[in-house]
Formats: sequence, C-alpha cells, structure tokens
Amino acid sequence: MTSSSPSTSPLVSRRAVFGSSSSPSPTHGRNPVSLRLYKVLGAGFEDEPTKEALRTLSELYGATSASGAKTTLVNGKTAKGETQVDSDTDDDDDTEEGASEEAKLSLGPFLSDEVTAPTGAAAHARKNLRRDIDVKLAGSSRKFLSALGQVDQKLDALQAYITTMRAQCDQAHTQLHTTNEACKSLLDQAGNLRQERDTVATQQTILNLFVSRFTLTSEEVIALTSRDVLPGKRFFAAMDKAVKIREDCRVLMSVDGPTKAGVDIIAATSSNLEQAYDKIFRYLTSEFQAIGRGNRDWERSVDPDANLEASPTLKEAVRRLRDRPELLSDALEVLSQTRQSTLLATFLDALTRGGPSGLPRPIELHAHDPLRYIGDMLAWLHQAIAAEREFMESLFELGRDGIGGRMIGSARKFEKGRMGEVEEWIGDMVDKNVGKLSGPLKLRVQQTLRSQESPILAYKVSNLLKFYELTMRRTIGEDAVLSEALREMSDVSDKVFFDAIEAQGRALLRLLLNLDDTALTPPAPIQEHMQMLRDILSVYESSRLDDSGRTEAEESGEDGKSKSPSEFGVERILDVMVDPALEVCLTAAEEKRRSRPSWDQAVFVLNSLTYLQGVLESYAFASTKRESLSAMIEDKVNQLVEEHYHDVLKDTGLDTVIIVLQAKDPGVPLSRLDAAQPHELSVALQKFSSWLSGLEVMHSPRLAQLTVQRLHSKIHQTALARLVKIYQRLCEEVRRPENRYEAASTLLGGQRPFGQIHLLKQIFGLGDEDE
Amino acid sequence: MADYDADATELLETYDFLMKYIIIGEAGTGKSCLLHQFTHNSFKDHSQHTIGVEFSSRTVKLGEKRIKLQLWDTAGQERFRSVTRSYYRGAAGAILVYDITNRQSFQNLSRWLADARALASPNLVVVLVGNKSDREDEREVEWAEASRWAAEHDVHFLETSSLTGDNVEAPFLLCARSILLSIESGSLDPDKAGSGVSYGDRALRRVNSSSRLSFGSLSGRRKKGTVKLRLKDYVPGTANSECC
Repeated sequence: MTSSSPSTSPLVSRRAVFGSSSSPSPTHGRNPVSLRLYKVLGAGFEDEPTKEALRTLSELYGATSASGAKTTLVNGKTAKGETQVDSDTDDDDDTEEGASEEAKLSLGPFLSDEVTAPTGAAAHARKNLRRDIDVKLAGSSRKFLSALGQVDQKLDALQAYITTMRAQCDQAHTQLHTTNEACKSLLDQAGNLRQERDTVATQQTILNLFVSRFTLTSEEVIALTSRDVLPGKRFFAAMDKAVKIREDCRVLMSVDGPTKAGVDIIAATSSNLEQAYDKIFRYLTSEFQAIGRGNRDWERSVDPDANLEASPTLKEAVRRLRDRPELLSDALEVLSQTRQSTLLATFLDALTRGGPSGLPRPIELHAHDPLRYIGDMLAWLHQAIAAEREFMESLFELGRDGIGGRMIGSARKFEKGRMGEVEEWIGDMVDKNVGKLSGPLKLRVQQTLRSQESPILAYKVSNLLKFYELTMRRTIGEDAVLSEALREMSDVSDKVFFDAIEAQGRALLRLLLNLDDTALTPPAPIQEHMQMLRDILSVYESSRLDDSGRTEAEESGEDGKSKSPSEFGVERILDVMVDPALEVCLTAAEEKRRSRPSWDQAVFVLNSLTYLQGVLESYAFASTKRESLSAMIEDKVNQLVEEHYHDVLKDTGLDTVIIVLQAKDPGVPLSRLDAAQPHELSVALQKFSSWLSGLEVMHSPRLAQLTVQRLHSKIHQTALARLVKIYQRLCEEVRRPENRYEAASTLLGGQRPFGQIHLLKQIFGLGDEDE
Repeated sequence: MADYDADATELLETYDFLMKYIIIGEAGTGKSCLLHQFTHNSFKDHSQHTIGVEFSSRTVKLGEKRIKLQLWDTAGQERFRSVTRSYYRGAAGAILVYDITNRQSFQNLSRWLADARALASPNLVVVLVGNKSDREDEREVEWAEASRWAAEHDVHFLETSSLTGDNVEAPFLLCARSILLSIESGSLDPDKAGSGVSYGDRALRRVNSSSRLSFGSLSGRRKKGTVKLRLKDYVPGTANSECC
C-alpha cells in the first residue's frame, strides 16, 4: 500500500484544488456535480466523498489543460465527447469507492500538492465548470433523448405489432369460440353416437350369445343333417344342443308368451331334429342290417352270439331314438328281421352241420335219441336266447341284475318308468328274434313225437318240453311266440303220450285171460302194464320235484298255477293206466270164471287189486287212486270173508244145523227140527271136533293163494271169529230149555270144544277179548 | 379290489372275446355259489339246488384283453343230467367242481369229465376246482391227490372257497388264458360257429386296422406250467384284497 501512494498522490492534489475552487458557486445548485461539491465543501474536504469529487474534477480538467484546444473541440463535438465523459463519470463512481481508504491515509501530502498545482487548469475549471457540465449534461441528455426516441420508436412499432396481434388473437378467439360452438353439437352427436354404438355393441353381444345359444351353427346343422357325417360325438353334441335350444325356448316362451323368434327357432330346430332322428334311423337301419349278418368287413361264418355286441355309438343312437318310438320300432323291425334270419340260419347250421369241422356234432345226428335230440335243440335255443337278451340289454344299455345292475342301480330307480318301457322293447325284440325258430323246432319235435311208440319216452319228452316251457316263460315271457310254441308242443306231446297209454289200456281190455292158466296171480300183460306205469310215475316224481324246488324259489302265486295242472296230469295218467287194468281184472276174470268155475276168481281179483295197490304204494301223490283201490279191496275182502266163512262152516259140518237154527221159527223147539235132532246134532258136533284137529283150522289152502299173507290171515281170522260166534249161539240155543234138548250139557260136552267158547277161541288162536 | 371295480364300471363297454363256459360237478359242491361269488363278489346264502340250467355273465380283463364270459351254471342232480348234457355243446371252457369235504364228489369226477369230453368240442378247456377250501377241518380230498388226478387227466387244478371268495376268479381266468392260447396256436378259430368263442367288437376293430391278430403279452408264454404259476402268484393277491 505504501508503494502505491506516490503514484496516486497527484490525483488527490488535483481534486483538492478543484474542490476548493468550485465551492463558491451557489448558483449552480442543481448541477449534480456542484451539488456534490457544495456538499463536499460544506462538509470539509477531508471526508471521502469530497475527495472523490475533487479527484474527479481534477481528472476532468487535468486532461483539458494538457490540451486546451482539445477541450473546446470536445465541447463542439457533442456526440463524441458525451460518450467519453459518460465513461469518465462512470469511472469516477468506481474509483470514488475503491480509493476512498487510500485518500484517507495520505491526505496531508496531497493537499499540499494541490496547492502547488498549476493554476491554469483550475481557473479554467472555475470559469467553465458549469458550462462544461451543462454542455456535458445536455450532450448526455440529448444522447438519452435520441436513445429513448429510438426506444420509443421501437416501442411504437412493438405496440403496433401487439395491436395487430391482439386483433388477430381476438379474431382467432372469436373463431375458436365459433368453432367451439359448432363443435359442441358435434361432440354431443358423437357422444350420442358412441352411446348408441355401445348399446348396439351390447345388443350385438347379446344377440350373438342368443344366436349361439338358440341357433345351431352351420357345422352343427351339417352334422345333424348331412349324410356324409356319420352319427358320432359331433352329431350327438349337436342334437343335445338342438334339444336344449328347444327346451330353453319353451321356457322363455312360457314366460313371455309366444314370440316370432321363439316360434321360428322352435320350427327350425324341430326340423333339424327331425332330420337328425331320420338320420339316426337310417344309421340304425344300416347298422342293424349289418349286425349279425356277418358282413362287416370280411366274410364271417354266422354264429348266434358272434359279434353280438353294441358299439357305444349304436347304444347312444338307440337311446336317442327312443324319443321317436315309431322310428325306433321301424329300425328294430329291421334288426329283428336280420336277427331272425341269422338265428334261423345258425340254428339250421347247428342242426345239420355242427361246430367247426363237425365238432360238436350236428344236433340232428342224435335224432334217433328223441330226448337228447329235443333237449339239445331246446338247450341251443335257451343259449341263443340268453345271448340275444344280453345283446338287447347292451343295446338298450340296461344293466343286468348283477354287477351291471348294481353299478347303475340308482339311475335305474330314477328312470323306473323308462326302464319298464325298455324292458318291454327288449322283451319284444327277443321274442321276435327267436320267434321264427319255433317253426323248425316245432316241426322236428312233432316229427319226433309222432314216431314215438314208447309212452315213457313220450312222457319224458313231454316233461322236458314242460321244463323248457317254464324256463322260457321266465326268460321271454308267457306270451312270447316261442313260449306259445312250446306250450303247443307240450300239448302235442301230452296228447301223444295219453294217446299211447290209452291205446295200451284199450289193448289191455281186449286181453282175454288164458283159460288154461290156473295161476291166481296177476297175468304178465298187467304186470308189464303196471311196470310202465311205475316208470312213468318215477319220471313224474322227478319232474314233480322240479316243481316243488321251483315253487320254493318262486312266488307262491306261481305255485298254484304250475302245480295243479301237473297233479291233474298225474291223476289222469293214473286213471288211464289203472282203470283198464282194473277192468281187465274184474270183467275178464268174470268171463273166465264162467267158462272155468273151478278157477278161484275172488282170490285172483284180490291178488290183482293188491298188486295194483302195491304199485302205487310208494308214490305219495297217488293217494286218491290208492284209496279208491283200498275201498275196492275192502269190499272184495268182505266178500271173500263171507265166502270163506261158508266154506269153513261147510267143512266143519255144522252148516245144516246152523242153517236150521238161523231159519227156525222162534215158536218151534230146535230139537224138533230134523237137522237138529239130538242125534244129528251129535254127529255134526263130532265132525266139527274132528275138523278142529285138522290143519285147516290154522291154514286155509284156498286163502294161501292170496299173494298178500296179511289178507290171508285177516280173512281166515274173521271167518273163524264168525264161526266162534255161531257156535256160541248154537250152544246157547241147545242149552235153552225152550228147545227141549235132554242132557244138553252132555250133548255139547261130548266132543271138543265141549261147548266151551274160550276153548274154541284158544284153538283158533283168537283172543278172549274179542268178545 | 381296484381292478375289480375297474372291470365293473367297464362292463358295458366292448370286449375282445366272448367265451362260453359250463360249470359242472356233483350236486351240492357249490357251483352256483362259486359263480355267484365270481359274478357278484359275495356269498350266496341258503342256496337252493339249481333247477336245470341258469345263466349269468361277466366281463374280465386278462392282460390287454377284455373277455366276456357267458356262464352256464348246471344242476348237479342226476335227474337233470339229461337236460344239462345238452349245454356242453358249444362250450369253450368247463369248470369242473368238487367238494373237498366230500369224497364222493371227487370220486365221481371221471364220469363228469367223460361227459364233458364226449359232448363238448374237442378243444374244451377243463379246470378242476376243489371248492370249500375254507373248511380245512373237514377235508376229505387232499390237494396232492386232486392235483395228481388233474395231471393224469390233463386238466388244470385249483382250490377255491366260494364262502370267503378265496381264489374264486382264478379258475375262470385260467380257463380264459388257456383258450386264448389255443386261439393263438390256431387250434381254435373264434370265427367258426359252435366253438364257444367269438370275437367281440373290440377285437374286430383291431383286426380291421391290422390284418393279423396278435396277443401281445401272451406271446412267448406257451408252457402251461408257467401260465399256471403266474396265475397262482397273481390271483390270490387279488382275491385277498377283495375280501377286505
């Protein structure tokens, strides 16, 4: 700082000079410089602003004194000078502040310097300061003016621009406004339109949904109606949809009442559905024609149960066509036709050709064995029916009572009515399909039956037919063609059988007993006849066990139905078989007796009757016949007892006495009658006594001819008992005084049994208790 | 058990083969019960004597093959012999049943087998079944003896219990397997009527797509012995589980 002070000192001194010189000029009070000066002067020069003002002043004039001429020039050339002064004054302001401190520090020496400054410049300054300042001021002001004028001009121009712009803006604004106004309606319109579009879009969606829900796509329609698309998943799905549409439509219409769209839709779908049903019908018809005919893709030999299986599509088709029963029944008619012919062909094959390479052998090979022949045919039918039924059940998707049934048990209950209907279809079909077989079967069975001579075989066949009739009734129902045919056949076989046994009975009736044959046992023809009855009855017995076994398993209602005819049957058999034999025994014996009196007819008849009874003995079901026989036997026994009694009486020699005794008048004493005279009586009693010692008391040679020992003793005993009774009566009569026998006791007691009844009983081996 | 259920639900579906079986044997050996256990998976209480012939069916699965079995249950009583004899015709398999607690029923087997051989097709597959194996205490016919008899007469042999269901499926499956083997070997032609076997729809479709039948898993196991062993290993397992 000290180093700089010498350089600035001249300046300070000049200012001090300048300041002192300008202080006495109060007239220019408005001049800023002078104002400043005054201020400086008034305040003393030692303060900083004063010093600064002085310095400025000195600078101003320092330059002027160095070139006085120039100063004037400067005044004249305003424009140039002004800018210079301007810059100077600016400089002044700057330096005033910047150097204020320096001035303070070196005030003393500067002031002294000022005093010694050249007086020329100061004087000039004192003289011209005001003017100079004014000139300068005016110059500056002019500069200002011109500058501001320019600015003004520019501003004017700007103003003009702005105005123009304003106008234009206004215009634009107006236009905008107008446009806005115009746009508003457009916007409204647009808004409305948008709304409308939205509504329409919604409607369209709804309509699309409606359409997709209530109409079939063209693909679906094709699936339903085109002949090229076979029924399958697609087809059934389309059908489902059509059905659903109809249902929905109906629901809607039931709420809203019939609408055109609804009616149209229903009409359209119903026509589609009809076509679909027609298509199913055609499909089923062609499938059914193929089924069982064996013409699938290659040649196959026919087998009743070969390929008897319904494909899922087939089942589905059948299930759907159930809604059109008339179509279904037409289609099933076709199936039935093909099945009928197939089954017929296979049946004939089994009859005549047998299995592969002839094994198992053809059924007709056993035609000589009627039972086997007919049994084989019926068994074949039974098996065919089972297969047929299974096929039908699978076709109608009906589970069997078994695993299948269990699996869909609940669904089944639900559709009970429907199931019943299905059962009906199935029953019908099975019936129809196998019905045609009854023709050839009937023919063969009848042929076989007609050629039968043995009643037993006929009976067996008849039973076999009845057995199968029952089986078929359970399988295919009572009204089925085959059941009917079996019934017919069994009737025919019954007739053949009864014809046979009746013929045999008639033949038996024509039988004449051999007059030379002394035997009292039933003759061989009757024995043969009864042997046959025995065979028949054992066949019946086993078939009767069938019935009882069955009735246990079946309901009791069936019981009465199936049992009574068979019992009726056996009664008839017994009648037909036993009656002629009886008749032979009675009438033929009668005739023989006439021509050969010595022949013991009574014993023969009794023997024959007991033989017949013996045959029936082991069959519980023959009780009625047996009872009637027993009654007859009883009758004959009594008859024989009577005869035997008389015979015995004759043998004992008491007969005449007894006859007299029984015939006598109660008033006449017995001893007065010829045959009962004491002598005669004594002879008779003697004869009786000797008879009593004979063998015949215990054993009658005549009765020994009876085959049943029991009857022999029974008859003999009964006769003896009667003898005892009559002897007793004789004794009583003899002892009675009215009969006037002298020594009655002696008369009776002379010979055995001495008039003692108990003794006679002892001899006869009769119990006392008999009395 | 799971297998069984699957079978049951697929009952109505298609099958490859249809085979006819006949169930024969003395009265009271439990033929109907065996069949009932096989078709219904339960024991038939208070079973009556069968009258004549009764029919039932079931579809089984053997390897890849589904086989529908038509089962003809015959009456064992002598008086039905003339009726039941007619059912041998056209049977592919026979299940010959005796009662292990009844020696008489075993001794009469020859007569039954003779009937079967005489009346059925020459390809008839016979499986001998000793039933009532649950009544071990009352056994009168030893396993070894029956097995020897079976070997002598060239039939398969198993013991089952229709009461517990033990081994009940085995005879039917064994029989089916043997029949399939004879089809494969060409001795049995399902296309021929009266063979007791025929193709089902399923097999037909397969045949249509490929001209020749093939039996897949069955090929290469020609020996009866192996088949038998395999089945025995396999079947009791299923049977046991079925009991639970």
